[in-house]
This record gives sequence, C-alpha cells and structure tokens, in this order.
Amino acid sequence: MTALLEVKDVSKQYGSDTLALANISFSVKEGEFVSVIGPSGAGKSTLLRCINRMIDASSGTITFDGVNVPTLNKRELRRLRTKIGMIFQHYNLVNRLSVMENVLHGRLGFKSTVAGALGIYTEAEKQQAVEILSILGLSEQMYKRCDQLSGGQKQRVGIGRALLQNPKMLLCDEPIASLDPNASKIIMDHLQNISSSMGITVLINLHQVEIALKYSDRIIGVSRGEVVYNGSPDKMTNEDIVRIYGSEAETLMIDVGDKDVGDKNAG
Amino acid sequence: MGLRMKPAVAGQENAVLNRQAKIKVKPFTKEAFVIRTTLISLVLLTVYGFFTFDYKDASLVGGTLSMLRNFGVMFFEPHFSHFTFWEAVYQVLITLGLAVLTTLLGGIAALLLGLLAAQNLTNKTVSNIVKGVIAFIRAVPTVLWVLIFAVAAGLGSVAAVIGMTFHSVGYLTKAYSESFEEMDNGIIEALKASGARWWQIIFQAVIPASIRYIVSWTFLRFEINFGVAVAMGAAAGAGGIGFDLFMASGFYFDLREVGTITYFILTVAILLEMTAMRIKKKLKTA
Ligand SMILES: Nc1ncnc2c1ncn2[C@@H]1O[C@H](COP(=O)(O)OP(=O)(O)OP(=O)(O)O)[C@@H](O)[C@H]1O
Ligand SMILES: [Mg+2]
Repeated sequence: MTALLEVKDVSKQYGSDTLALANISFSVKEGEFVSVIGPSGAGKSTLLRCINRMIDASSGTITFDGVNVPTLNKRELRRLRTKIGMIFQHYNLVNRLSVMENVLHGRLGFKSTVAGALGIYTEAEKQQAVEILSILGLSEQMYKRCDQLSGGQKQRVGIGRALLQNPKMLLCDEPIASLDPNASKIIMDHLQNISSSMGITVLINLHQVEIALKYSDRIIGVSRGEVVYNGSPDKMTNEDIVRIYGSEAETLMIDVGDKDVGDKNAG
Repeated sequence: MGLRMKPAVAGQENAVLNRQAKIKVKPFTKEAFVIRTTLISLVLLTVYGFFTFDYKDASLVGGTLSMLRNFGVMFFEPHFSHFTFWEAVYQVLITLGLAVLTTLLGGIAALLLGLLAAQNLTNKTVSNIVKGVIAFIRAVPTVLWVLIFAVAAGLGSVAAVIGMTFHSVGYLTKAYSESFEEMDNGIIEALKASGARWWQIIFQAVIPASIRYIVSWTFLRFEINFGVAVAMGAAAGAGGIGFDLFMASGFYFDLREVGTITYFILTVAILLEMTAMRIKKKLKTA
C-alpha cells in the first residue's frame, strides 16, 4: 500500500500568538483507518481542515493522491475536495431539505453550476443515493425532512452525502461527539465498514480514547499542535496517554491492556 | 469611630445597611441617565406644547364632537358619487399592482445585494461597501426618493415605481443579508468542502435555509409598499385608489366617499394580513 496522504512539517498560526499546529508530519496509507486524538484545543480540527484547505496552513507541504495541496488553484482545489468527503460533529445538513436532497449534495462538485444550483441530478446519481441510503439503513427516511431525524440518523445522512462524492478519503471531525453511546456505535461501525469494504481511507478526530483504540488501525496523538504519538493502538501505553492528554489523562479513566490509567478515583 | 478602627466589620455592616435600603436591579449608568433625561424632556415639551398651541378658539369638546360627527358621516354613510364600485375595485388593483411591482423589483435586486452584503458569503470589504450604500438608501424616506426621481421622470407613476423600488431595495437587502448571516455556517462549510461552487451553495443551502425569513420580510415590505402606494397616488399622482382618496377629500370634500375608499383600503389590508399569516404558517410546517 502506498501513502495516500503525506503531511510534512505543517504549521498553522492564527493571528500572531496562537500556534495551532507546529511542524506536524505524518502519512496515511490507502484504506487505513486513522484516529487523531488529543485534548481540547490541541489542533485536531485545524489539522483536518488544512488537508482539504478549508483552512490554509501557514507552512509545510501536504500531498494527497499525488497532488501538492497548498499550491492548487481554485479549480484544482474544488477537484481535490470532491475526492475528500467530510463529516462534522453537528452534521451540517440543510434542515429544510429532504434526506435525499441532502445526500445528493455530495454530487454538487461534479456538476455544472446551473444543474447543481437547480438540483438537477441524473438517474444514475439518484440510483447511487438510494443504494447508499439503504446501506446506511435510511431507506425509510428517504423523503423525510432532515429536521425530523434523530442525531444518529442525521449523522448517517452526513456520511451518505460524503459517500456520494465517491471519495478516496473521509475526514471526520468528532462525528460522534453529540451522540449517545448507542448511536455512536452505529456510526463507528458504519465508518469501519466503509473503510474495510469500500477501501476508503478514514481520518477521524475523536474525543473518546477507548473508541479510538477499538476501531483504529493507527492512532495519532496530538498535543499542543504537535504529534506526540503515532502508532498502532496495541502499542499504546499509559505513558503515551499521559503524554497526549497531560494532566487531563487522570480524568479519562481508560483501560490500556490490563493497566489502568487514571483509576486513582475509580478504585 | 468604631467603624474606622475595624474596617472589615465596617464593610460587613455597610453591606447589611445596603440590603435594608432598596436593592437596585440595574446599575445606574451614564446611558440610563441620558435615556431618562431625554424621556423626561420629551414629556415636558409635549405638555408645554399643548399649553402653547394656537387653538384658534376651537374648544377641545366642540372639536372632538365635530370630528366624531365627521367620522360618523364618513363611516356610516359611505356612498359612491364620482366612481362606481367596480371602478373602485379597479383603482385598488392599480394600487396593489404598484405595490407588487415595487416589491418584486426591489426583492430581486435585494436578493443579489443581500448575498453580497452577507459577510459569511462574500468578504468583509464587499460586505461593508454594500452595507454602507444600503444604509444610505434606507436613511432617505421613500417619499423623498420618489420626489428625487420625479426630477428626472416627472411627478407620476414612473417616479413612484423607481422611488419605491429604491427604498424597498434598501430595506430588503438589510433584512435578507441579516437572515443569511444568521444561518449555520457549518452548512456552507460542508458544501464548500465537497467542492460545490458559490452559486450552488447559494441555491442549495443558503436560500432553502433562510426562505422563511425571506418570505416574511418580503411580505412585510409588500404591506408597507401598499400603504406607500396609496400615499403616492395622492402625493405623486401615481394613480390608483390613493388618487381617488386625494380627490374625494381635498378636491370634492366628499366625506362619504372618503369613507368608502377607507373601507376598500382596510379590506385589502386585512386580506393581505390574513394571506401573510397563512403563508407563514405553511412555511413553518411544510
Ligand atoms: N479561527 C480561529 N482563530 C483563532 N484561533 C483559532 C481559530 N480556530 C482555532 N483556533 C485556536 O487554535 C487552537 C486549535 O484549535 P482546534 O479547533 O484545532 O482544536 P481541537 O483540537 O479541534 O479542539 P476541540 O477538541 O475542542 O475541538 C486552539 O487554541 C484554538 O483556540
Ligand atoms: Mg475540534
């Protein structure tokens, strides 16, 4: 497997005093399921958004699928973005529109301005939307308005929209942070399934370390804008978690193997 | 004396004392002072005004009585003398037409300008420039715009249409752009991240997300424009029911006909209000 994404020495400075990312480097292979974990404010969202240039990195190189991301012009950038699906904590759907319409938004980047603006889709595109909705278990909700859905269903619509792009990679920014454990599990299982059966690379920001440990092929730990861990979940130790989360680690209460982290109070 | 020797206790005692005095809900700021002074001066000026009016020997009671008598004639004995019922309907339709036309033209222009004025859809510079121009247009009253355009087009329907449209643009652009700015930016971000173009985002996300506001603001402006259109018929010779009202009251001194016309205008206003409520209700559920 070759590297699909190569991030090298990427830094991002907000204003004059906030260094959100400091010389971050890592690479992601095709089909890999990679979690990014780290405390709040570590720079996880910033990192994800630098990859599809929703935020422009201050320095460094990012190569995705053989193209150098920072130097792309507007048109090339749109093309790049069609190859990368994005999933958000707050779903970011158009509530007034139906599930089907929202999922079909994934095709906008491939269409002419007019056809896209008017929402004219080909039969093939609609067919694919129906198939994806049935995979995600939303066949019955197809024509419901999105504001009538539960959080878990909304997130599945978000995934559907991203999948309709036929992306090479999914960027997920805390997709389960607003969901209950049950809905979270359904979403994570879908993402894992997408990764393994469709071969789509997944780069996901997570708050919950246990979930990252359970689902990931690899974990990247970020702290204060720097990569402090980059390796498989099995090799992760308590020290690593303390290094990532600092003093917060004690409140996390995570089981790594048979050693307990932060169980001083848990007993 | 004792207080000065034990400052800590003194502080506590003060706090207790303050409790016993009235507790203020709001701090007394400079702003509150200015507002209160202004209000009090306005009240005093109004009272002073009443005492110093030149009433020309019209007594309050007599004046009120004859006004009520006039109202009675107006509203209980309405009749048609200079036009028929259907002519009146036709004139109302002309006035409505003026309101529809100006709202529609204004709404279309405002939609475009509203998109440019919304900071989340363009950049700060463009937004600020558009907002500045729009604020200027809005600051000048509709009637004045009509009179300004009357210089070029002559007093009449053309000046009325252009002037009313102009002010509608100012009003609606502000309303629209604020609804656009209020929408969830995450939606825009999501579509941008999927490679969608600006116009696609506008039509597929921005407008659907703010359609409710767009419709209710447009309808509100339509109601305003109907009122203005009546006034313009009289003041700018734009025709319609307003012109008949002007003729009936200022030219023929026919109170009964003024009453008839008022009923016509009132009916339309109520119908408009009812339609607006219906549409809003539908938008909420659909
Ligand atoms: N638009 C912005 N302007 C200025 N500073 C920003 C901006 N966005 C993020 N930051 C700062 O950059 C740092 C990283 O933010 P980021 O949102 O990437 O963190 P995060 O790891 O995603 O946190 P969380 O887990 O809370 O979502 C923070 O210190 C944040 O305050
Ligand atoms: Mg974040």
